This record gives sequence, structure tokens and C-alpha cells, in this order.
Amino acid sequence: MLILTEVTQFESLVGVNPWTALFTFCNMIITFLLLKKFLFKPVKKMIDERQKEIDDMYREAQASKDEAARLQADYEEHLSSARAERDEILRDAVSRARKRETEILTEAKSDAAALLAKAESDIAQEKKKALNEVKNEISSISISIAAQVVGREISEADHARLVSDFIGKLGEGDD
Amino acid sequence: MNVITQTTVASFVVMVLLCAAGYFLGRNLKKRPGRMQVITEKGVSMLYNLVEETMGKHNAYWTPYIGALFLSSIGGSLIGMTGILRSATSDVSTTLTWALMTSFLVWGCTIKNSGFKNFLKGYINPLNIVSDIAQPVSMAFRHFGNIMGGGVLMSILYTGLAGLSSLVVGAVRSNGWAVTGVTAAVGAVLLLTGFKKGKLALKIFGAVFAGIAVAAALELSGVFGEVPILEVGIPAVLSLYFDIFSGGIQALVFSLLTMVYVGMACPPRR
Repeated sequence: MLILTEVTQFESLVGVNPWTALFTFCNMIITFLLLKKFLFKPVKKMIDERQKEIDDMYREAQASKDEAARLQADYEEHLSSARAERDEILRDAVSRARKRETEILTEAKSDAAALLAKAESDIAQEKKKALNEVKNEISSISISIAAQVVGREISEADHARLVSDFIGKLGEGDD
Repeated sequence: MNVITQTTVASFVVMVLLCAAGYFLGRNLKKRPGRMQVITEKGVSMLYNLVEETMGKHNAYWTPYIGALFLSSIGGSLIGMTGILRSATSDVSTTLTWALMTSFLVWGCTIKNSGFKNFLKGYINPLNIVSDIAQPVSMAFRHFGNIMGGGVLMSILYTGLAGLSSLVVGAVRSNGWAVTGVTAAVGAVLLLTGFKKGKLALKIFGAVFAGIAVAAALELSGVFGEVPILEVGIPAVLSLYFDIFSGGIQALVFSLLTMVYVGMACPPRR
């Protein structure tokens, strides 16, 4: 049935009906405008907006990540510089202390040496002084003894020589 | 000459359906999309991608027109599946109008982009006039012919199957209730074995026999005059190709050609 009607209408099927063409044109334009207004524009807008939002979010996340990394690097740098400073200070202090130690030691040694030298020289001087005193004492005693024994004066020069000989023998015996 | 033809009605229905679908899909858009919105957005962005790939990024604003053309073409082809209206695209008036719209767009874009003088200069070679006429005609007839051919084939198939059906059912019916019962029994046995062994062929044959028996019984008892039972099944499979596949392909080809022609007339600005 359908095929028969289609065959009888075949002539008109292939021909162009200007009214149909006009209506098709109008329908196409209306479809285009309405779909554009109600479907394509809002959907495209929504997609673009969401895309933009996602991009923004990613960009912000990236920025804060960079910021965090920067801060961390900062802190680490600070920390390591503080450590280095501390080490520096410690090393400085230690070396200063060592230096001071050696200084003190050398000072003490030199002081001791000086003291020792002074003491030795003092001792030597005292000894010399004592010896001189003893010498004088002995000479005067011996002179008086000799005077008494001999009963006469011997010359001063002979006297001195005798005494020093005596002392020399004495010193040798002493040492 | 009729003012209102079947095609007019069909294209009007398609327009109303498309606009209503577009309106309902395009409203209440949210940043966090629902299921329908995801599908809608996928479709729209697919169309945008197609247009951008074919015509270049600078021509993306053509998408709504291409989309409307594509959807109208698919809708115009599929409306024929309702069985009430003939496909709008199986009327050459429709496809020729669309093809001429494409041609006018191409000419308009050429004049706009390279000037009227250059547009006229293009016709120094008179073959270009021929090609400008041949272009819309070939587009129109390709689309029209494919859909019309599919429709005619489907009609022929339906008619042929109706004839075959009345032949077979008539043969069963004219032999009375006994043969009808035997046919029904054969059908039932085939169906049962088919389901038991899971064989598609047995199921199909069983269904055919059972259907013929039911049709013959209905005719014998006088409920219906003629039951074209064999029209069930085979047309559904062929309809997948002739209506859905062919309609989709022709819509794609038509809108692709439109994109290519208009895209060539709108080169990127330097």
C-alpha cells in the first residue's frame, strides 16, 4: 500500500515544492536561533566558566605550592646559616681560648723563669754579701788575733793577702 | 501544489522537538553537573571540537548553525521511523534548501572575506559556475537519495513480507484447526529446545512457527481479517541500517561538507 502511494507520488517526491522549501528554510533558521540561544550558548558558557575556574584553582594551587617551597627554602637557608654562624662562633671561642691558654702558660712560664732568675741572682748576691761580710769579719778577727799574737802590726797589704788566701782555702773547703 | 505537505509537518515536528529538547537540556545548568548535563555538555563540546578541527579555531562560532543542521538532519531522517510521518530528508525540497543555504553562506563568506571583485573574479573560469551549481545539487541529492532509497527499500520489504505472510498464514488457515495446532506444536517444541540448548536459530524458527500458528488461529476465530505476522522481526534489523545508520551518516556527511565549504570560504585572518 505504502509503496504504491510512494510510487504514484514519485514525480512529486523528486520535484521541489517551493512552499516546502520556504518552510524548511524558516524551520532551519528558527531551530538554529533557538538552539543557539537555549542550548549552545549557555552550555558553552558553562563549560568555559568551569574550565576557567578549574584553571584558576590550579594556578592558585601552583602559586601557593611555589610560595610554600620558597618559604621552606628560605627557612632552610636561614637554619643552615644560623648553624654555620654558631659553628663559627664556637670555633672562634675555642681558638681564642686555646690562644689565651697558651698565652697564660707562656706568661706563667716566663714569670716563673724570671722569678727563678731573680731568686738565683738574689741568692748569689746574698751569698756574695754574706761571704764579704764573713770575709771582713774574719779578717778583722784574724787581724786582732794576729795582733795580739804577734804583738806587732803587720802591713795592711800583707794582711789582706793573708786573709784572702785563707778565705780561698775556706771557700774551697766549704764548697 | 500543496502548501502543507507531509514534509512540512515532519520538519515542523522535528523543529518543535529539537527546540524543546534544547530548551530543557540547556536550562538549570550547574557548575556541578547532573547526569543529563554531563551528556549535554559532552555532546555540545564534541560538536565544538568537530567544528574546530574541521574549520579551524577561528570558525568555532559556526558551531550552533552546524549543530542545528546536523540535529535537524538526523531528526528529519529518524522521524520516518515513527511510521506516521515520512522522513523530512527524503524530500528533495528539504535537502536542496539546506544545500542552497550552505551555498549562500559560502558565497556570503567569500564576498565578506575577499571582496565582491575577487568573488566575481573567481568566475573568470566558467567551470566554477558549473561547480557552484553542482555542489548544492550533489549535496542535496546525496542526502535525499540515501534516505529516500532506504525508505523505499523498507516499504518494499514491508509489502513483500506482508505478501509472504498472507501466503503462509493463508496456507495454514485454509487447512483448518488441525494444521494450525500442528504448527503451534512444532513452534512450541522448537522454542523449548531452543531455550534448553540455548540455540538462537531454534528460538527464531520456533518463534516464526508459533507466530504463524497464532496468526492463523486469530484469523480462524475471526478476530482479525489478516495478520501480517512476518512483518515482525526482519524489518527491525534492516531498519537499524537504513534508518539509524544511514540517517546518522548522511547527517554527518552533510554537515561535514557544509563545514568544509564554509571553512574554505572563511580562512584564518592574518
